[in-house]
Amino acid sequence: MSTTAWMITLQFAGVNALFALAIYASLWTGVLSLAPVFFGAVSAFTFGYVAGTLGLSPFLGLLLGAALGAGLGALTAGLLIRLDSHYLAMATIAMVLIGRVLILNLPEYTGGATGTLVPGDLGTWAWLIGTLVVAAYVMARLAGSRFGLAADAVREDPAVAETLAISPRRIQFIGMIISGALGGVAGILQSSFLQYIGPDTFYTHLGFVTLAAVVLGGAFHWLGPIVGAIVFTILPELLREPMGEYDRVVTGVLLVLIIIYMPRGLVDVRRLRMVRSRWWRPKGGGAEPDGPDPRDPQPTVRAEVAS
Amino acid sequence: MTGLAVDIVGLTKAFGGLTAVDDVTIQVPPRRIHGILGPNGAGKTTVLNMVSGFIQADSGRIDVFGQDVTRMQPFQIARRGVARTYQNIRLFPGLTVLETVVAGAYMQRSSTIAGAILMSPTERRERREMRERAAELLEKVGCRAPHSALAETLSYGDQRRVEIARALATNPKVLLLDEPTAGMNDVESEEVGRLLVELRELGLTLILIEHNMRLVEEFCETVSVMNSGALLAEGAPTWCLEQDEVKEAYFGKRSDAARIATLRRARRGPGGS
Ligand SMILES: Nc1ncnc2c1ncn2[C@@H]1O[C@H](COP(=O)(O)OP(=O)(O)OP(=O)(O)O)[C@@H](O)[C@H]1O
Ligand SMILES: [Mg+2]
Repeated sequence: MSTTAWMITLQFAGVNALFALAIYASLWTGVLSLAPVFFGAVSAFTFGYVAGTLGLSPFLGLLLGAALGAGLGALTAGLLIRLDSHYLAMATIAMVLIGRVLILNLPEYTGGATGTLVPGDLGTWAWLIGTLVVAAYVMARLAGSRFGLAADAVREDPAVAETLAISPRRIQFIGMIISGALGGVAGILQSSFLQYIGPDTFYTHLGFVTLAAVVLGGAFHWLGPIVGAIVFTILPELLREPMGEYDRVVTGVLLVLIIIYMPRGLVDVRRLRMVRSRWWRPKGGGAEPDGPDPRDPQPTVRAEVAS
Repeated sequence: MTGLAVDIVGLTKAFGGLTAVDDVTIQVPPRRIHGILGPNGAGKTTVLNMVSGFIQADSGRIDVFGQDVTRMQPFQIARRGVARTYQNIRLFPGLTVLETVVAGAYMQRSSTIAGAILMSPTERRERREMRERAAELLEKVGCRAPHSALAETLSYGDQRRVEIARALATNPKVLLLDEPTAGMNDVESEEVGRLLVELRELGLTLILIEHNMRLVEEFCETVSVMNSGALLAEGAPTWCLEQDEVKEAYFGKRSDAARIATLRRARRGPGGS
């Protein structure tokens, strides 16, 4: 591949990472949702329309995307959180399908089937990396926080979480808002890189690719979706030359293998911790009962950094 | 106002055709260690499940410190000071011992999303305090496993202790324990018994399901004995265990209580449901 082609691939990997983080944000609270793709579409077309008619500074564009996405996230959560997990997932897929119908039927705003142009000011490495770093920072900060531990609890066992006075609905509501904000920002960046968006830009393909990225990378740590998106975007490109048409088969097989052998994804903190526990007690004697300080000297650092 | 910590009146729950809990009344004053006894399938866990809001009662009423919690959601009941542990241990996979206990302190914290992202001084202080408190609780329940270990990898005894610490982190007034000593040896069980007394001294009300009769007789002030969903007897443990109906329910026609009690205890594996 040429250098330009590589650059473009990497840029899409970055945008996909943002979408994957958006999916992760709600999955963290036990909600499987493809709604970020819809949030991204609404943000991108609104951005295109507002920028085209009024003009908009890039930074305001990003803020608009985040705010719009967060608002839609709250609205979606308000309507859908009551549904059981798989019905909720279906409803968010339906949102993605409805998004396309809306785009096609609102040609004055969206350009309809022909699509619309979007200014490319934000389509630069600086904006992409800057946004990604901020997003990752936010997720990392939340990981050990009050919300983060509650989200872990709700994902792993909502019934037990409730007996700890945690309201799963509330946690999932917050997760959806974060997911919405990230989805909105991702949509703005996606459209800025493409500079032209149509009814198929934010559709099922994007949803499945980014969901696969979360599964592949790991849905239990914020680093997972980023790693997954990068691997899952770059790998098909790498395989295209040697494999020709079979690249999709290979990525598909790889995904299945990872699901079977690494069910928690490439970034698996739990497994790391298991391995480390074994290192901690190499003699198999359990904890030392009368040591000067039987406590692990590291929880301070870890509780802040890891999830 | 009855002045009771937990006031269960006429509680009934049926699963299909099976009445798992049948018109059960259990009244527990504050600062009491109360046992619920009965053979397998008697409906003991179902009673605790209704008190903590896990399942809805068909009829009857549950008051906690004078407040009707019968139709409340579990997290609302928890906010009124009820915490619990589980017969089949339910820890969060992937969380460390320390994280598990800190997760229990959710309502003791005031941290916000913005504060967490900006890592405000309040946030830092709160996180430090939470870790310290969790460490204290783990010490109190006698969990000596490293705090950074995955909770799910500990021994059964330690997993039960972590569960108790997690429940205590909610700062409860009433603690419900479902077979807290299952899978523990006599020394460990005795430690749990002493912990119960210590917690009672701190003002907690404790209701526990327990099969270890020696422990019950030593630490429970009152007990309710159930069989097939109904209440058989209530009162002082020694007195209850001498009742013929209780002996029969527990041990069939024979009444060699001590021998069979030991047998039962030996047979009970950890985590059975
Ligand atoms: N969710 C449920 N659905 C259907 N039946 C249930 C349910 N929970 C409990 N039961 C039934 O209700 C009866 C009482 O069960 P419960 O778990 O309360 O007994 P237990 O006294 O705790 O017994 P053990 O000592 O074995 O724990 C049993 O026959 C059980 O099969
Ligand atoms: Mg039970």
